[in-house]
Amino acid sequence: MQFAALLPVRPVTFLGQVLISAGEAFTGRWQFRLKDLGRITADCSGRAVPIVTVVNVLVGAILAFVGAVQLVKFGAGIYVADLVGIAVAREMAAIITAVVMAGRTGAAFAAELATMQANEEVDALEVLGLSAVNFLVLPRVAALLVMMPLLYIYGCVTGLLGGMVVASGMLNISPAAYLDRTLLALDWSHLGLGFAKSFVFGALIGMVGCYFGLYAQRNAAGVGVATTNAVVTSIVGIIVLDAVFAICANALGI
Amino acid sequence: MTLLAVDGLEMRFGDRLIQTGVSFKVEKGTIFAIMGGSGCGKSTLLKHLVGLLPPAAGNVTYNGVDYWAADDDGQARLRKDFGMLFQSAALWSSMTILENVCMPLEQHTTKTEAEREARAREVLEWVDLGKFADFYPSDLSGGMKKRAGLARAIATEPPLLFLDEPSAGLDPISSKRLDDLVLDIRERTGAAVVFVSHELPSLFAIADDGIFLDADSKHPIAHGSPSALRDSCDHPTVHAFLAREEPPARDTQDGAKPVPSTTMPADDTATP
Repeated sequence: MQFAALLPVRPVTFLGQVLISAGEAFTGRWQFRLKDLGRITADCSGRAVPIVTVVNVLVGAILAFVGAVQLVKFGAGIYVADLVGIAVAREMAAIITAVVMAGRTGAAFAAELATMQANEEVDALEVLGLSAVNFLVLPRVAALLVMMPLLYIYGCVTGLLGGMVVASGMLNISPAAYLDRTLLALDWSHLGLGFAKSFVFGALIGMVGCYFGLYAQRNAAGVGVATTNAVVTSIVGIIVLDAVFAICANALGI
Repeated sequence: MTLLAVDGLEMRFGDRLIQTGVSFKVEKGTIFAIMGGSGCGKSTLLKHLVGLLPPAAGNVTYNGVDYWAADDDGQARLRKDFGMLFQSAALWSSMTILENVCMPLEQHTTKTEAEREARAREVLEWVDLGKFADFYPSDLSGGMKKRAGLARAIATEPPLLFLDEPSAGLDPISSKRLDDLVLDIRERTGAAVVFVSHELPSLFAIADDGIFLDADSKHPIAHGSPSALRDSCDHPTVHAFLAREEPPARDTQDGAKPVPSTTMPADDTATP
C-alpha cells in the first residue's frame, strides 16, 4: 500500500494506456490513420538522416583522435579501429542518435501534441470516441520503435567512417586494414547490445514526448514547457537507461 | 420529446465549486442557450454534457440513458447521437477540411470511402466551403474554420448539436451567417442545439430556451428564452446582461461600494 502511494500515478497510467493500446493494435483494433503513421515515420527517418550523419561521423572522428594520440605512444595505433568500433557499436551510436532524436523528434512530438491540446483538437478526438493514446501516441511510438534501430545501424556505419578517415589521415592506416581490424574487434554481442539500447531509447523518446505533449497546459507557455520537459527528461532517461544497460551487460558478461 | 435532461449537476475544479443545482431539459428541435458572464462555467458545463469531464454530482441523461452511469460501450453509443463545434473549431491540423469532415462518418457510420467523401462534400457545400475541401485548417479564416467545424459536427446528422461560443471572435456578418446556418440545420435535420454564448445578437436571434448561470451565487438564476428573460426577468444580473445595463453593485469586503465601471478612479500619482 505504501509502495503504491509512491508511484507517480499519471505517468504509470499513461504507460498502461500505451501498452493496452499497443495490445489492441496488435489484434487489428488500431484507431490511428496509416497516412499519419507514414508521415510520422518519414519524419523520424529520412528527414533525420542528415543530422544523424553529421553527429555520428564527428563522434567517430573525435574518438579516433583521442584514441590515436594515446595509442601511438605505445606503438599500438592500429588498435584505434578496435576502440572506435567497440565504443561506437556498444555505446556512442545508440546514445548519440537517441540524444539527437530526443532533441529533434521528441521535442516535435511534445510541441505538436501540446498545440493540439491547446487548440482542443484532443478534446475533439475524444468526443468522437477516439482514444488520444491510440490515435496520437501509438503511431509516434511505433514509428520511433521501428526507425531508431535502423538509425542506430546507420549511426554505426557513419561513426566507423569518421574514425576511418581520422585513422587514415593521422596514422596512415589504410581503409582496408582499418576495416579488417574493426571486423576482428566487433562481435555480435556489441551490435546486439547497441541494437537493444536503440529500441528501448526509441520507446522512451516517443512516450516521453507524447506524455508531456498530451498533459501540457492549454496555452502557449504550456507548449514551451512541454517541449523543454520532454527533451530534458528524455536525455536524462537515456543516460540512466544506458547506465542500467552497462550494469546488466557487466553482470551478464557481455 | 426530451432529448437531453440535466438534473442537479454540480461542477467543481478540485475543491473549488463552479456551479451547483444545474437542471434543465432540451426538447427535440429546440435551440437551447447556456448564458452567463465570463468564468461562470458555461464551457465547463458543455464538457460535462459531451462526456469530456465527469461532473462532481448529478445526472446527464440522453433519451432516458444516464451518460455518466453508462459503461464505455454505452457511452460510445450515446456519443454517436451528438456533434460538437468547439470554441476554436478544433479542426485537426494535420488533415484537410474534407478529411476532417470524413472522420465522424468513418467512426460512426458504415459508409464506404466513396460514400463518406460524397457526404462530406455535400455538407461542405451546405456551409459554403465546397471549394475549400482540400485546404488545410491553417489556410482558412476564423469564420471559415467555424463553418468547417460545424460541417464536421453535422456530417452524421446527429439529433443533438453542441456549439461552444460559435460566434465568438467573428465579425457581425460572419456571426449572422453562422446563426443562419444553425437555424437552417435545425430546419433541415430537426436537430436540437445546445449552445454556449454571451453574444447578445446570436442569443436573441436563434435561442428558443435557455439557462442563465451566475458566477457569484454559483447556481442558475434564470431559465427561459433570452428575449423573454430580457423583457420579464427582474434579476438585476440577468437584466444587466441581456439589456446591457449597468451591472448591480456588489458589496466589497469592507462594505464600501465598488467604483462604477464608467468612472475612472482618481489617481494623483498617475503620470500622463
